[in-house]
This record gives sequence, C-alpha cells and structure tokens, in this order.
Amino acid sequence: MELLNAQTLAKLAGVKLRARAVVDGVLSGLHKSPHQGQSVEFAEHKEYAPGDEIRHLDWKAFGKFDKYYIKRFEHETNLHAVLVIDGSASMGYRTGPLSKLDVAKVLAGALAYLLVRQQDAAGLTIVTGETSRDLPARAAAGHLRLVLDDLESVSPQGTTDLFRAADHLAEKISRRSLVILFSDLFDDREEALKRILQLRARKNDVAVFQILDPAELTFPFDDPTLFLSMEDERQIEVNPREIKQSYLEEIGGFLNSVRASCGEADVDYELVRGDDSLDAVLLRFLARRQERRR
Amino acid sequence: MTFVHPWMLLGALAALIPLLIHLFDRRRPRPHPFGAISFVLRSQRRTASRLRLKRLVLYTLRTIILVALPVALARPELKRSAQAATIARGPAATSIILDASMSMRYQDGGTAFFERGRQQARDALRELLPDEPANVLICGPGVIPPPAASFNRGRLRELIDSAKPTFGVADLNRCLDLAAQSLEENPMPGKRLVLISDLAAHALHLNLPPPTVQKANGQRLRPEVVIRDAAGGKLWPNRAVVDLKVEPAVQLGPKSFQFTFTVRNFSPEPVHDLEALLKISGQVVAKGFLDIPAHGASQKTLSYHFSSGGVFAGEVTISGDSLMADDQRSFVVSVPKEVRALIINGEPSAVRYRDEAFFVEAALGAPGSPVRETTKDAEAAFHDAFDQYDLVLLLNVTAPGPDVSRRLIDFVQRGGGLFISLGDHVEPELYNKQLFELLPLPLRMVKTAAEADEPDADRKAAKLAKISVDHPIFSPFTGPAREGLMSARFYKYMLLEAGSAGGSAKGTEVLATFEDGAPAVAIARRGQGRVVLYTSTVDRDWSDFPIRTSFLPLIQRFSAFLAGSLEEREEIKAVVGNVVALSAPGMAGMVTARAPSGGMLPVRAQDDGRFVIGPIEEPGVHQVQDSSGRPVPELSFAAVLDPSESDLARIRPEELTAYFGQGAMKDSGPDGKQRHLPFWSWLIVAAALAFFFEGVLLRK
Repeated sequence: MELLNAQTLAKLAGVKLRARAVVDGVLSGLHKSPHQGQSVEFAEHKEYAPGDEIRHLDWKAFGKFDKYYIKRFEHETNLHAVLVIDGSASMGYRTGPLSKLDVAKVLAGALAYLLVRQQDAAGLTIVTGETSRDLPARAAAGHLRLVLDDLESVSPQGTTDLFRAADHLAEKISRRSLVILFSDLFDDREEALKRILQLRARKNDVAVFQILDPAELTFPFDDPTLFLSMEDERQIEVNPREIKQSYLEEIGGFLNSVRASCGEADVDYELVRGDDSLDAVLLRFLARRQERRR
Repeated sequence: MTFVHPWMLLGALAALIPLLIHLFDRRRPRPHPFGAISFVLRSQRRTASRLRLKRLVLYTLRTIILVALPVALARPELKRSAQAATIARGPAATSIILDASMSMRYQDGGTAFFERGRQQARDALRELLPDEPANVLICGPGVIPPPAASFNRGRLRELIDSAKPTFGVADLNRCLDLAAQSLEENPMPGKRLVLISDLAAHALHLNLPPPTVQKANGQRLRPEVVIRDAAGGKLWPNRAVVDLKVEPAVQLGPKSFQFTFTVRNFSPEPVHDLEALLKISGQVVAKGFLDIPAHGASQKTLSYHFSSGGVFAGEVTISGDSLMADDQRSFVVSVPKEVRALIINGEPSAVRYRDEAFFVEAALGAPGSPVRETTKDAEAAFHDAFDQYDLVLLLNVTAPGPDVSRRLIDFVQRGGGLFISLGDHVEPELYNKQLFELLPLPLRMVKTAAEADEPDADRKAAKLAKISVDHPIFSPFTGPAREGLMSARFYKYMLLEAGSAGGSAKGTEVLATFEDGAPAVAIARRGQGRVVLYTSTVDRDWSDFPIRTSFLPLIQRFSAFLAGSLEEREEIKAVVGNVVALSAPGMAGMVTARAPSGGMLPVRAQDDGRFVIGPIEEPGVHQVQDSSGRPVPELSFAAVLDPSESDLARIRPEELTAYFGQGAMKDSGPDGKQRHLPFWSWLIVAAALAFFFEGVLLRK
C-alpha cells in the first residue's frame, strides 16, 4: 500500500479531497486486514407481519416450525462519535506543507467519512479560544458534507483552552459517545488534560490525537532566534543550540506525561507528527481499537 | 619580566575582541512564531544560570588564548627581571663562566652539579640574542684567559660539551676578572657575565673587588652579572678526609706505622659510626668507626705492621657520600728495610756503661729500630767480611792496618756506610794515613775544653753551636728537640784539618760545629757509600752527650743516613692543582710521571737537578718512571685534595646581591634534574589547554 505523505496531501486542495484520499488508503488497507469487516448480526426472530421485509424471512425456521419468522438484525455498533478539533493559534504552526490544524482536519474528515460510511453518527466540535462551534452527530450520508464543510472553514485563532473544551463536551454529550480530540495539547495548566480525560470516566470512549510539528519535536534551530508566542504576547531571544538539550528534555517529559496520563485513563493516544503518513496513522489507530474490542 | 620581541605584545589587544563583539554586536535574531514556546521558556529558565557560567568561562578561555599567544611570541623572560635596565640598553657581549672545581662533582640524584651546570651553560648560550657575541671560560685550577667574544656558537658549544670537572680549586674571583677583561675589547656597550657555579663560599672571596670592565676612556664599569645556581639553591651535606699523617709506630715494633686521619663533617647533622678503612696495596688491612659532630671533625688512628720493607701505596677511605672524591686520601709510605750493622768496639769493658759501644748498642737496638746490630772488638771485626753488613761503626778504634783499611774503603765505595767516632785510641796520623780516602776531613789533634772531673767542667766544656737542620740527619732537631742537642757538653773533641778534605773534598759537609767553630759532625760521600765522622766519643769519656735525650735519635738518624734509608724516601707533599718538585739524585735523563687514571703529567727538569711535575690534576698515587720507563717506587707520591673544596657552605643570596650589585640574580634552576621550560612555553601550553576546553564547552 502506498501511504500518503504530507507533501502528497498538500497537493490536494481542501479537506474533502484530502480526507477522501486518506480514507481510500485506509479502506485499501482494511480490505487486506484479517480483522476487518463489520456487519449486522442476528438478534432475534419475530413473527412476520405485513410490511416486513420479505428478504428477511427465515426460510429455515419456516421449514421447521411452518410459521413465518422474520430475522431481526442489530447493527454491531451504534456509534455516536464527536470529533473535537483544537482550533487554537498554536495549531497553525507549521514547518512543512501542512500545519498541525491541517493535519487535524484531514484526520477528522477521514474519520467522519469512515463513521458515516458504516452508518455511525459523526458530530464535530471546533474549539477556538473562547468560542466553540458544534455540529450534532448524525449518521446520514448528507451529514458528512456538513462536517467536511465545517472542517474546511476552521482557521487557527485564540488560545488553547482544554478546560473549556472539556466542560463544553461534558455539557453537550448526553449519551455514551466516542470523543476524538485533535490537539497539540499545549495548555500550560497541568489539570487541563485530566479534565478531558475525565470524559472517559463518564462512560465515554475517548481518543486523543496529539499533533505536533516536527520542529516542535526536534528543535532544529541553529541561529539566535526570537521565539514569539502564537497565542499571546510572550517572546524570548535565545541561542537555540544552547538550550536544545534542555528543550528536548522538556518536550520529551511532556509527551511522556501525556502518554502516561492517557494510559492511566484508558484513553487511546496517538502522537502524530506533521510529516507522518496520515493513512498509516489512521490504520494504526483503527487496528489498535480493533485489538481493544477483542 | 622582559620581552625579547616586545612589539608582539600588540597582539594581546586581540583579547578585546570578545568584549567588543559582546558590546557592539547588533545582529538581530530572526523572529520565529513558535507553538511550543512554553517549553522554550522553561528550558531557558532551567539553563540560564548554567549558561551564564558557561559564557563567563568561555569568555575567560578565549581571553586567555588571545592574550597568551602574543605574550608567548613576545618571548617573556622572568629571570632577567632584575636586569631590565641592562636589557634596555640593548644586547650585551657575554662571557659564560662554568665552575669546574672539585665541588662541582657533587652528585645530586645521580646528576653531578657540573652536568647540571653544563646544561645551564648550553641554555645560556642558546638564550643569547643573535647579535650578542660570547665566549666561554671553564673555571678550574690554572685557568687561562678566554678568547675574545665571538659569534661562533658552534665552537662555544663544543667547548662546553668537552669541558670536564677538575679535582682542583676554582678561583671564581680570578675567573670573573679574566672574563670581564676578555669583554673589554668588544665594542658592544653592554657587558654581561654569566656565572654558573654551585656558589660554594670558599670559591668566591667577597672581600676582593667585584669584576669590572674597563672602557676605552679608562672608566671602569661593573658588568651585568647573571648567576645560575648549579646546586639548586640548597645546602648539601658532605664529609671528607681532610688530613692524614703517616708515622712510624715505634711502640708496635719496627716496620709498624700508624695512620692518623681527620674526617670533617660539613653538614648540620652529626654522623655516627662512620666506617673508615685503611687499605694497603688495595687490600683492607684495618677498619675503624668515627662519630663526628655537626660541622665538626673527628680524628682516628689505624695502625699496620708491614712484614717487609719497601715503598707501599695505600689509602684511607670513609663510607662514600655524594662527593666521593674527598672520601679517601692516598699515601705512599716507605717502610725501612732492615739494616745490618757491625759495631766495632774500640774499648770494650766488663762494666757495661763504661763499654765504648754501650750507648750505641742501646740506641740502635731500641724498639722500632730497623737496625740489627752485631758488636765485635776490633781484632775479631777486622776479620769479618764487611760486605755482609750495610753499616760499619768504628767506635774509638785504633786505626786498622792497610789490608783492613783497603777492605773498608772498598766496602764504602760499593755503597756501605761508615760511622767513625773518636777517642783515646784514635791516632790522628794513623787514621789520616790508613783511612785518608774515607775521612771527610783529616784529623788534626785532640782539643781538651775541660777535664771532666774539674769542678767547673760544665762551664768550660764545649757545646754545639751550629747544626744544619736542613739536612735530613738533623731535620728533627728543631724546637725543644734542639735544646736536648745543644745542651750536651763536650770535654774533648778532635780538631779536623779545616778546608783540606780527605780523599776527595767533593761531597764533604760539616753538619754541626762547636762553639769554637770546630766540626762536630762531618759527612762525606765516597763512591756509592757514605761516611759520618763524629769528632767526640760515643761513651762518656769525652762528653756527656750519650746520656742526653738527643743521643738516641741522632745515632738512629746517623745509621739511617748511612744505610741510605733516611733520604731515600723524603716526604713528598703534592696537592691537586699545584706542581711537585722531585729530587732524583743519580738518575740520568728525564723522568716521566703517570697519574692514577693513566694519563701522563708534564715534567720539567730544573737546573738544580730536580724535576718539576705537574700541575697535578687528580688525587691518588702518582708513579714516576726513569728514562728507560722503569718505575721508581721511591719517587712515587700521593696527591691530595685541597680540603676547602669539600666545604659546600654557600654564599648567601644577599651577600651575592651586595657584592655584584642589584644587577645580579639567582636562578636556582629546576631542581637540577631536567632542563626548565621557558615561561613562554607555559603560555603556549596554557593557550592550548584553553583552546581545548573551549572546544569541549562549545560541544556541550
């Protein structure tokens, strides 16, 4: 399978195309998977009544009992998924062709496509600074277009506020849902991530895609640089070579703590680099979830 | 501190570069919006103090690099700091004086002071500026003026490389004067003396004027003096055998000698149980131990009995220290051979003390005497073969007949010794007739100064008036010993024919006379033999001399002289650095002298028949050979060191400064084991280390 890298995706205009491309890649991968495929499962028999689907008649049962029974099926899942996009200004950072927000949008679009395709409901919540915008979860095929349009319209702004995002979700989600968060998690408050993870304690299934730019992971700067905050007025002039080691230790510690927190809260965690192949990321994510289900 | 290339110091201004960069660097950092700025801020806070320290260390290291390199290229010289004024006058004609005295042989950790000094001389030569002419003076005994200063560094280096330490005394005052004089002709205004020495106090006499250089206008200027201390600035302990006396040990019998030596301790610590050995012909024959106080001396006597006569060489040694040359002292001792004497008694008597030969027998048979005497009366003795004796003594004997006289003359002519004492039995005419060829002077008549039984005989009796103490026979009779000789009273004595010698006037010598000028003792050489004529009696008939204390030694001296063992081994005193004059009577042609190390010494013949050997270059036993190359043991001699070289007491620095002036400077050197690195080398090392650590810090 040829995986899609960031450069290839960047050539495609818009979330729809990018998401579709990723989904194609994912589906191509799924067909080859021995664990793939989900369908409806037999649930119970009921006596036939006019108006029932003739094709669901159980002819074997008719042969045994001489009565018409209709086979009733139940979908394996009846998923209600909410895709949460962190639209803060820091998500606009990029050193490659795609910003972190672009990556988040592509991943969210692809997942929405997959959810709707298997008749799950997919909703969308976009958190940007002080404001949040919600698109309720629907399983209808026409709803996908609304999701993708909404994703298309997101632009980075404001600060990262996971507290507010968590509160907003807790308020909006009324039934057991799959909450998928796309964020860099750059919220200086230590309790912010835990607030998100507490959604898991409320019987929700939670997955976190932490999206970081390669430069944020490797700090590849050499010359003296004036670093400017993308969300507020902070700035600092440093010689990157002098603090690189310390920075890598800091960011490494942060990632370890996020990973550990997610593990403790039984939350799926996926670290995504801006230059990762996103279909591979999704495949990895889906495979891990399939593993968990079994 | 001075600099060879001071203009290179301008390069040190480069040390300002880091500071200027810090102050004036206006490069604007590139602004970069960054999502993870929180981590940047946290990292910066975490590393701020460490970075500040790192920057400070980096700044320091870079400054060290930028300062050390130009300063090193400027070639700073710490040791010339005291001579800044001289350097400021420009380059100087230089004379390098290397002390080659015996004390420079002192070993410090296996390296002699002289070797260290040689290296310092090489350093001094290498450190000269290209336009500084130089010469080298090796300062030992018999120093000669150095040639004029030149630019032939190779020749000077050869001179330094080939220099050897001596066993002699170095006169540093004279060497400094000669070196200063050698620079007078040089047109260069600056004059410099580089003195390389162990700075032993004995070598430099501070009461003498310091060296000066006379300018063309007659003005005398004090040159710059640079002192390099080859002894490393320390006071080194030493002990040495400084004196040795070799004397017959009469109480131990004939052919016994005692060796009394003095060992001096030149260190502030006392020495206990120091082993001393007496070696004869290379064999240890006696051993002793000494305790010596700090800065004191101790004397020890070891004895040895020789089994035979002859000339023997030996040495006294003490346990070795770091200056081994003075831990031994050589000697040459002549052990008298046995002398066979025939005493012909002219007036035997049953009463012992009236016997003519009584006192002579007692004298020759005394303990320690090498004489084996045989006493016979005249009749019996004249039938003996005289050749079986070394010595014949005619004591108041009637003149022998012609045959006996002829045999006596032959005996003497062939090398025998003849002692003649007179008395009532001696008839002058007969003696003069029969023994004319032997008598030093003919006999004339007996003179009676007083009768022995007269009341005032003592006052009237004759006394000895003049004696030749220069002659070996009478040489011991000086001081109190002379009094014992001069107080003897002579009542009668034989007058001799003055001025008309016997058989041959040649070789006749009057060694003692009475108050009236009459000879008391006359000696003569006859052929290869010798004759002593004593003009009184050897018993108490004519004199009371036999009961005087001087009689015994004088009779023994007579016998030794006549047997040829008295002057055959004159004590030869030879000191290293001096010449020695040898009397070699009867030797034809030039002699040669060989030093203990095998080298030949210069020998010059003197008009008086003596040979002057030397100057002596080393201690130990020197062999003398005749013209045919055969060793002459009787002429061999032991050269000894000047004890002053054993004292390593140092001149104090303040004394040096006061003597040479403020221009003088001490350089104690790097403990002598290795050549010290010049200061600029350490600067290079410092810059390299700073460069290394800067790289390490930058990588972190």
